[in-house]
Amino acid sequence: MIGRLSTVFALLTCLGTLVGGADAHPHVWVTMTEELLYAPDGSVTGVRHAWTFDDMFSAFATQGIEQKTKGTFAREELAPLAKVNVESLKEYAYFTYAKVDGKRDKDAFGDPVDYWLTYDQKDAVLTLHFTLPFKKPVKAKALDLEIYDPQFFVDFGLAEKDAVRLVSAPAQCTTAVEKPHDESFPSSQRFDPNLMTSEANVGMGANYSNRISVTCP
Amino acid sequence: MVRRLALVAMIAVLMLITSALVISLSEAWAQTGPFGVGGGQPASGIAGWLLAKQATFYRALAGLIRAAKTNGSAYWGLMGISFAYGIFHAAGPGHGKAVISSYLLANEETWRRGIVLSFASALLQAVTAVAIVAIAAALIGATAKMMGDTVRVIEIVSYALITLVGLRLLWVKGRGFLRAVHDLSAKSAASVATARAASDRLRDTSEAAIHCRHDHQAGVEHSHHGNDHARGHGHAHSHDHGHAHGQGHAHDHDHAHEGEGSALPWGHAHGPEPEELAGPGGWQRGLSAIVAVGLRPCSGAILVLVFALAQGLFWAGIASTFVMGLGTAITVAAIATLAVAAKAVAKRFAATRAGYGTLLLRGIEVCAALVVTAFGALLLTGFMASERMGMF
Repeated sequence: MIGRLSTVFALLTCLGTLVGGADAHPHVWVTMTEELLYAPDGSVTGVRHAWTFDDMFSAFATQGIEQKTKGTFAREELAPLAKVNVESLKEYAYFTYAKVDGKRDKDAFGDPVDYWLTYDQKDAVLTLHFTLPFKKPVKAKALDLEIYDPQFFVDFGLAEKDAVRLVSAPAQCTTAVEKPHDESFPSSQRFDPNLMTSEANVGMGANYSNRISVTCP
Repeated sequence: MVRRLALVAMIAVLMLITSALVISLSEAWAQTGPFGVGGGQPASGIAGWLLAKQATFYRALAGLIRAAKTNGSAYWGLMGISFAYGIFHAAGPGHGKAVISSYLLANEETWRRGIVLSFASALLQAVTAVAIVAIAAALIGATAKMMGDTVRVIEIVSYALITLVGLRLLWVKGRGFLRAVHDLSAKSAASVATARAASDRLRDTSEAAIHCRHDHQAGVEHSHHGNDHARGHGHAHSHDHGHAHGQGHAHDHDHAHEGEGSALPWGHAHGPEPEELAGPGGWQRGLSAIVAVGLRPCSGAILVLVFALAQGLFWAGIASTFVMGLGTAITVAAIATLAVAAKAVAKRFAATRAGYGTLLLRGIEVCAALVVTAFGALLLTGFMASERMGMF
């Protein structure tokens, strides 16, 4: 009796202590410029990302890639890497989360339709371009886009200038951008990585996410 | 019966507190930091603060490597930041802080051995990172994806090893726990039937008998025994002695013949002999933990190494990696020492409660073994995210 009870107690206590999940800090920094693509009827067809990586990650990513001209990489030379990038992004839902008229749409995006990498010789950084199409064009009064990594291995930040652009949007549409509170380092706010990785919290309410809100009354 | 249940519940709660203590103490330590930064920023939380520091240092690494190309004095800054990054990063994933501490808790290890384990695993980690980048990137010219895949394989092996080490501990410690439970039940039954004095005698003899049968029963009990009953048990003492220095037994059970030296009535006051430092079972046993934890290289170190290589400063990257490892080792060693100290406190408490005290100690050990196993299993199955080492 005591034996069984003690064993059960021990097991429960131990499981109870197994809470501390893994803390992560970013190894990749991304500076984003985003374009929302509109159809003539005023619906949003997709999001065109341009993500510039930090130089450390860019050096890592370009390691071992053959180059004709030393110091730079041609778009064709980077094509296999772009493919790897986009394919591994699928697992992370492209870090892009959509909320249509206040409602979260988990299955909003299809696979990227085009993607390529460019190399900036001066800053020695890579930029990944890819277009994420909506499965169904979104016609909404309010569209919220959030771009972030719930596990925070990648630190996303919007570019300082012209971070968001609406392409052929109806004239009355306006954009608002909400950056993480501390732009220089978003994770300095308190966040609980255990909660962040749980399904309930993914995509919404993360205080280090970048939110782009488009309103078309 | 109710009283007994209450005691069992109390033991469970104590175990919970112990493990919570280890976790929070480790975080508190990391927060205080090596430079007496202390205090932190309560509003943003320890985890957030730690992560912010790490990220800041990590970002500074890239800048310093770049600067080192043209400015020689940047090397000093690079080494300083590498050290600081290592110290802070050890609080994060992939460095087995929790695994090493739990391993030490599950075993009857000394703080010296904890420090050796911490430094050895951190060193191995640095060596793996340098080896991967040196071979894959510098020699073969492998791509980032190949390196990521290599790390992935090493990672799986490492997590599997952690799981195996945990399972082995669980098997050994689980039996010890059940034995303590069984022992206790038998004793309680006896005490109901007989007078108190008689039952005490019975307990003593039955414990001695158990020690003889399971000659590898934890040394803790021996020492308590010795404490409680002064010098009344000649056979127990000599038994412990003989066992502590015995050669070639394959059991990996515990022998508390060092560490909290003052608690031992027969006075092992001398400094540790090399074979004592190696602990019972020799280095092979600790080696499994070192390899399990240290095999997986730190992603940050690999990125720094590749970046340094791209800048034509590979050796600076190597130096940075080893200095990072030093910082990591210091944090892990500090946490490991805390774990050992926490267990010593529990042990002292256990000494005041015959029977249940033993149960508590065995319970802590089982719990720690479970934590090691669960860490390995969760990492292996991907439920717990460690560092990513891919293109994302």
